[in-house]
Amino acid sequence: MNPKLGPPAVEPLSDVTWARIERDLWSRLDTAPVPSPAPRSWRPWIVGGLATAVAIVLVILARSRGDTETVQVAQETVPTRMVSGAGPSALTYGDAHITLEPESALVMTQDPITTTAILERGSAWFSITHRKQPFVVMAGDAMVRVVGTRFRVTRMADHARVEVERGIVEVRFRGTEYRLVAGQHWSSGETTAVIEPPPVIEPPLVIKLPPVIDPPTKPATKPLPPTPLQDPRATFERLSALEATDPSAAIAGYVTLANGSDRWAELALYAAGRIATDRRDARARSLLDTYLRRFPRGANADDARELLGHLKGLP
Amino acid sequence: MEAAVAREADLALARRAAAGERDAQRTLFVAQRATVHHALYRILGSNHELEDLTQDAFLAIFRALGSFRGDSSLARWCQTIAMRTAFAYIERRKPPSIDLALVEDELASDEDTRRVVQLREATRRLYAALDRIEIKQRVAFALTVIDGRSLAEVAQITESSVIAVKTRVWRARKQLARRAAKDDVLASYLAEFEGGER
Repeated sequence: MNPKLGPPAVEPLSDVTWARIERDLWSRLDTAPVPSPAPRSWRPWIVGGLATAVAIVLVILARSRGDTETVQVAQETVPTRMVSGAGPSALTYGDAHITLEPESALVMTQDPITTTAILERGSAWFSITHRKQPFVVMAGDAMVRVVGTRFRVTRMADHARVEVERGIVEVRFRGTEYRLVAGQHWSSGETTAVIEPPPVIEPPLVIKLPPVIDPPTKPATKPLPPTPLQDPRATFERLSALEATDPSAAIAGYVTLANGSDRWAELALYAAGRIATDRRDARARSLLDTYLRRFPRGANADDARELLGHLKGLP
Repeated sequence: MEAAVAREADLALARRAAAGERDAQRTLFVAQRATVHHALYRILGSNHELEDLTQDAFLAIFRALGSFRGDSSLARWCQTIAMRTAFAYIERRKPPSIDLALVEDELASDEDTRRVVQLREATRRLYAALDRIEIKQRVAFALTVIDGRSLAEVAQITESSVIAVKTRVWRARKQLARRAAKDDVLASYLAEFEGGER
């Protein structure tokens, strides 16, 4: 072997690879946005996040179509990407039946609670039924659906359109929620124009959507103490937004949220300790000590120890 | 003075990105992507999952940005998260069941090509050996010895003390030397990295 080979060179990634990483990164961020520590400011690029913000929870009602190829996709926790070619594709994902229109692409992800569809391009029809009330009557080629919903989402660049054929769908866009029932449609280009629907005859379907991000024009409001009915994530995000304007109220809210036992309780307890430390609040040490006792291997345990170290060094 | 200005710039960018401003997130991504990729590559070597891991590291960076307080530079902070990402990856990855085949590529005749092939083979054996040592030792060795960073710098990235890093590097060297005893190519390559850590 030659005397000096030198350290191994770092193989660079190509521009194409970086572009792919960046695109997928924004897509993932749009699906699960970063908890914001300060009120968001308006930026036109929010439009870019729109289509993926129309990420919707699915539960299913299968319906077969003769002119499409049907594929069974097992329930997975890893993202599954589906792309259609010149013709449509039909597939079943968990409880959801999806028809992908030509030249469309869709990414499905699933955790124990939520199934999320990210429409990368094109259009897709989703058929969903309430998991607890599945009731289907098959009569020959006919299928009778008792409860459910069916809607279509289209994405063209930064614009999205949702059409509801049956059932109820909630769309959240720029912090505003739109509730669509059968016959209605919504488009990101005409956010206030929703066609009047026929009377609703179906029971409401609960659909889990990404967390609300308050629009920047709204003044910061004091959070209500979280109750079991409130979404802890949404509460956490409201409190994060409150930190800049009213840190005392944010600490109080975080402490209340920390009474829970989920991961938001952990994050809230650390956040309370962090703000208290920044403000030289007398409760800081106690909050951080409590955090480390409850979550010694928590996501912020190292940071909590570091903050405690700083506090111990203070006069 | 310059450091203070840079710190303020880092903090301002981090706040905007943490607030969800996509242009700030993009600026941060472009500014730090080489740093993050470099740290991952040094720890993991050539790896077909590097693309996904780079993305995971940035996702972790954006999710943790709210906790960035400017105690270190944004680049150093991103390196720490990249290190954690690599650490988590090694931890969850199953160890290779068998040693990589210690068969050398056929050596080419011209000197440059020969050297490239030798380096590739030596690198492969080095990372195969690193796969078999304790993760903290591996990270310390990769960043200090292969990447040539100072002990203090690695201590900061790995959130450890200088003494701890030094001890890990020493233990890693011992482990690797044991493996190199049966592998001349590795032994020869490791000899290049001998010398005191800074």
